[in-house]
Amino acid sequence: MIGTVARVMWLALLRDRGALVLAFVLPPLMFLVFAEVFSGAGESDLEMRVAVLDQAGTPLTGRIAGSIVKLDGIVAVPDASGSGPLDVGDLEALVRTGQADAAVWLRAEPDGNLDADPPVVVIGDASRGLAAAVVTGRVQRVLQSQFPTLGVARAASLVDALAGPYTEEQQDALDLALSELDAETLEQESGDTSQDGLVAQRLLGGGREIDDGVSYYAGAVAILFLLFAAMQGAISLIDERTSGIVDRLVAGPGGYTVVVVGKGLFLTLQGLAQATLIFAVAWWLYGMDWFGHFGLWLVTAFLAAAVAAWLGLLLASLCSSRQQAQTASAFVVLILSAIGGSMMPRFLMPGWLRELGWFTPNAWVIESWHGIFWRGDGPAQLATGWGVLLATALTAMVISIWLAHRLAREK
Amino acid sequence: MSQAGNEAILEIESIAFAYRDKPVLHDINLDLSPGRILALLGPNGAGKSTLIRCICGRLKPDSGRVLVAGKNPLKNAEARAATGLVPQQIALYPHLTVSENLAAFARLAGVDKKALGPAVAETIEVCDLRAVAARPAGRLSGGWQRRVNIGCAMTHSPRLLILDEPTVGIDPPAREAIESLLTRLSGNGLAVLMTSHDLTQLEILADSVAFLSEGRIAATGAPSGLIREFFGARRDCRVSLADSPGTELAASLGELGLESSDRAARHWGGLVDERSARHMQSRLPEDAPITELRVRRPGLDSLWKHLYGRDPERVA
Repeated sequence: MIGTVARVMWLALLRDRGALVLAFVLPPLMFLVFAEVFSGAGESDLEMRVAVLDQAGTPLTGRIAGSIVKLDGIVAVPDASGSGPLDVGDLEALVRTGQADAAVWLRAEPDGNLDADPPVVVIGDASRGLAAAVVTGRVQRVLQSQFPTLGVARAASLVDALAGPYTEEQQDALDLALSELDAETLEQESGDTSQDGLVAQRLLGGGREIDDGVSYYAGAVAILFLLFAAMQGAISLIDERTSGIVDRLVAGPGGYTVVVVGKGLFLTLQGLAQATLIFAVAWWLYGMDWFGHFGLWLVTAFLAAAVAAWLGLLLASLCSSRQQAQTASAFVVLILSAIGGSMMPRFLMPGWLRELGWFTPNAWVIESWHGIFWRGDGPAQLATGWGVLLATALTAMVISIWLAHRLAREK
Repeated sequence: MSQAGNEAILEIESIAFAYRDKPVLHDINLDLSPGRILALLGPNGAGKSTLIRCICGRLKPDSGRVLVAGKNPLKNAEARAATGLVPQQIALYPHLTVSENLAAFARLAGVDKKALGPAVAETIEVCDLRAVAARPAGRLSGGWQRRVNIGCAMTHSPRLLILDEPTVGIDPPAREAIESLLTRLSGNGLAVLMTSHDLTQLEILADSVAFLSEGRIAATGAPSGLIREFFGARRDCRVSLADSPGTELAASLGELGLESSDRAARHWGGLVDERSARHMQSRLPEDAPITELRVRRPGLDSLWKHLYGRDPERVA
């Protein structure tokens, strides 16, 4: 008897192609996506977009800049076809707008002068502090491995300062050793050479009162739950199909389209309320300047809620059973959220996945909110994101309504 | 609630319909006037659901036309507003109270806000739903849910009510309550089109019936008229035996025009002329182990068997 029950379930699964795909094709697919997203977070695999400004313009800084941009895992921005940053203000703008994860400013030729400011400055955004730390580490490694004399010279200067001046003989010997070292070490590792004082790190926006990650994760979590709630709410469309409510409504003058539009309106308002609650908590507990940007926040929240609502309704319109819709919606929400940056910042993902993220509403919503609260973006900077969200919501709405119309008039 | 009138509220003229290349309806002609109840009958796959979908404007007939209140329901919202559909499933929002369900479906059927309160109140009154008006629909018994299911199709005062198996799955008292409701509604001038497998119920309730067979109308008319037309004065006789009959008894039953309907030959039945029916008992051997002898006027179930060659399907 137990075997019979198992056999019945197997046959039922075997004959429901939709369920079969969801049961056996999606899990490995999901694994692949998650593996790509999360395994890319190891520091050695991270691909960083880095802007480099060689302000010193000496042969040495030119070599250092060249070495940095050739590193594996570093993508120079702007790319070779564009013009490089003109000054440090341009560098900061690239980092602030998210076009670069971090920037390297070679402001002076590194030497043994301990009193001078660090000649190399890595500029990062406080909200992506990890990116700045990773780039700093890579720049230090370049200096250690390819320019070890810089560290030795600084160490010698330190000894000179602490233990008194070198004699003439000692200084000659040191100069000779440094020149020999410089000639033979391009391909050697010199891990023990200190680079203290050569590289400094500067984080933009780090002086703000709120936690750096709050504005990012408020948006990331909000869009994740907006999508989940909208998908669950939209499944009522399927319940209404199976319960005969659709048959009843289609026979009436209003038809089924009004039902779909009504659900879209409700789910949008529900999403707006959810986003309001999340940001209210961020404002209350973390001091986020919510009211200072309320208008821009509201437009983004409305668009985010509308996208979530209509994507949910579109998915429910395409599914033929509640089970199918539940599995499919979980899959869609998890994938969109993983790729779109709701679970992990996108700058920690491989480059191709980061680009793929722009095809998710999560990325646009997170970027818009983050831009508003972190960078102080205005309507001009937000226009593209808003446009993409609006277009996505409208497209999903039109297709959902068309499917509803098709359902109502069968032939 | 409905406006009575003499003109047919539903006119079906020579419609035909095919799903892809498979013909489903052929040359269907029917009409229904206000205050009348028409029952669509037929085995599964006969075309009843397709015909109802054409009437509701969900399917476009390949030829012929359907008019509801004189208009094409496929194109005209007024025609659809004149229709109330009661699906076979309990098509209600289970978490909403009965009143809230009525109000929701009234609004979705186009009743404006000002008229909403009176429309709901009138439906509660007509369908006798006062006792459950404030209770969630999902917590009602099957019988009450069926009545609310009908009520939700009534709130916008349709002139044509279409019911698909309105009494399926409910107990006799609840069935009687629904029959009484439908009689009352048609008495108020509402045209009722219904499908049901309960032929005894339809015999009492329906003014006319239409038997569908493979997409064609096999017979249509008033139940009594059809029965008379098909069976004349013949009677439906049923004989049940305690044991399988011997050769002599089997021969006698056969001579009377009865046929056994089971392998053990313990149940016999058939249509016999009035005179034979009257003397049935005396024409059988005295020692025949008869447990039941029933003679009655043929009903719709007899007609069903005659038309389809098998007993009617039972739907619990």
